[in-house]
Amino acid sequence: MRDLYQRLAVSPEANDQEISQAVASCLHSALRQDAEAVFAVAERRDTYDTLHHTVSDIGKLRARLGLSHGAHWQGDVANDFSLPPDFAISRHDELVDRVSHAVSLYNRWRRWRGPWLLIAVFATGGGIGIALGLALCLGLLPM
Amino acid sequence: MSIARFSPFELLLLKSRSQVDTATLLLLAWVLVHRQHVSEGQRRRRLAQVTAQFRHGHELGPVMSIAHSQDLQAIQLAAEVVRKECGSERSLSVIHQAITVATDDGELSLANHYILRFLADLLTVAPMTLNTLFKELTGCPLATPEDPSRDVYWQTHDPDYHARKAREAEAAEQQHQQANARAEQQQRKKDQRYQQKQQKQQEKQQRQEQARQAREQEQQRQRERQQEQERQRQQQQREQAEREQRRSRQHDSRQQDYRQQEHSNRQQRPSPPPPDRTTRALSVLGLTPGATRIEVRHAYRRMAQLHHPDRFYSESEHQVALASARFQRIKNAYDYLMQTY
Repeated sequence: MRDLYQRLAVSPEANDQEISQAVASCLHSALRQDAEAVFAVAERRDTYDTLHHTVSDIGKLRARLGLSHGAHWQGDVANDFSLPPDFAISRHDELVDRVSHAVSLYNRWRRWRGPWLLIAVFATGGGIGIALGLALCLGLLPM
Repeated sequence: MSIARFSPFELLLLKSRSQVDTATLLLLAWVLVHRQHVSEGQRRRRLAQVTAQFRHGHELGPVMSIAHSQDLQAIQLAAEVVRKECGSERSLSVIHQAITVATDDGELSLANHYILRFLADLLTVAPMTLNTLFKELTGCPLATPEDPSRDVYWQTHDPDYHARKAREAEAAEQQHQQANARAEQQQRKKDQRYQQKQQKQQEKQQRQEQARQAREQEQQRQRERQQEQERQRQQQQREQAEREQRRSRQHDSRQQDYRQQEHSNRQQRPSPPPPDRTTRALSVLGLTPGATRIEVRHAYRRMAQLHHPDRFYSESEHQVALASARFQRIKNAYDYLMQTY
């Protein structure tokens, strides 16, 4: 399994015309023949694209998990689909971070007796509103 | 600190009673999704069968939908959890389950080839162990995956298309040959017409020549008759004055010799004019009459490179047919010139 898009220097989303141009201008005759066989028929391209998608996903996963040099990742596949390690942090660590953040927020909320605080804020807000309304009514009446 | 919400799989993992089981479940669902010719219900049933003794304690539906959406982050998280939590025994059992799920009765799909190998690398299962496990479970060795990025794969997997294409190519070839043959026929007809014309011209020339020769012969005969008469007259004179003009006889004979020489000179034919076909052939090659053999060869090479049908291969059948007719004409001209020069 080779990455024909990479070898032909086109993007996997390229349309048929761009692909046929790239195939025609390819100098490597064997590669050109293979690319013609794959891209000539729409069904074949679909089949190839689904597999290409899966394998490039696996390449990304391997890069993130540090498995780019595994015993089962050899030959053409490893050559074409290995990515440089991106410095994305481990998903598990991220999950643990987010859970602990959520837990600390919850604890703080509990410690400040959140519901009571909320009721007090609402009560004061309501009181101020009523007072303002009364003052406005009294101020407007003499006029 | 990210402010993103928890993804469905993260929530599932947090709610799960056993994170490893949930993560394994997702990886097995991922393998199942890439199995071909299986319905959705069969997938779910199979997953439930394989994971009957798992202790995750949640529905399988959300896991399957996450696997269907190919959520790379969820799969990465599952892989990390599995790698972190699984000992060597548990890894072997996970690989075992993955292989059974991937190849129940049918063959291993291409995507699952790569997924199984990824799982084996993730769980640090050596290639030998994977091969023996696979052989024990399925009865056939783990082959290297086929390569759909190659022509050979499609020739074995899609032979109908290739047969059709070959037939089309053959038809196109036949058409091409017919076009060529037609062009050749036309060329031949033209040649024949041209040759006939030439023959007529030659005949005309020959007739003219013969007429001229006849006229010349007539003149010659007349001249000979005159000479004869003169000679007779001279002889008469000689007879009359034989004794008086003995010395003049030698002179006469010399004069006769001279005249005969003159006659023979006049009898030589004029050189034939250069044949018309040669000039035509030369003009086909873009040359003027009087070109040397080397010039002809160079001109031929240049023209052949310019008009070779292979140059028009990318344009259209019609262009190729035209070019091959032109090329044939050039080649005929060159062959003719090489014979005559």
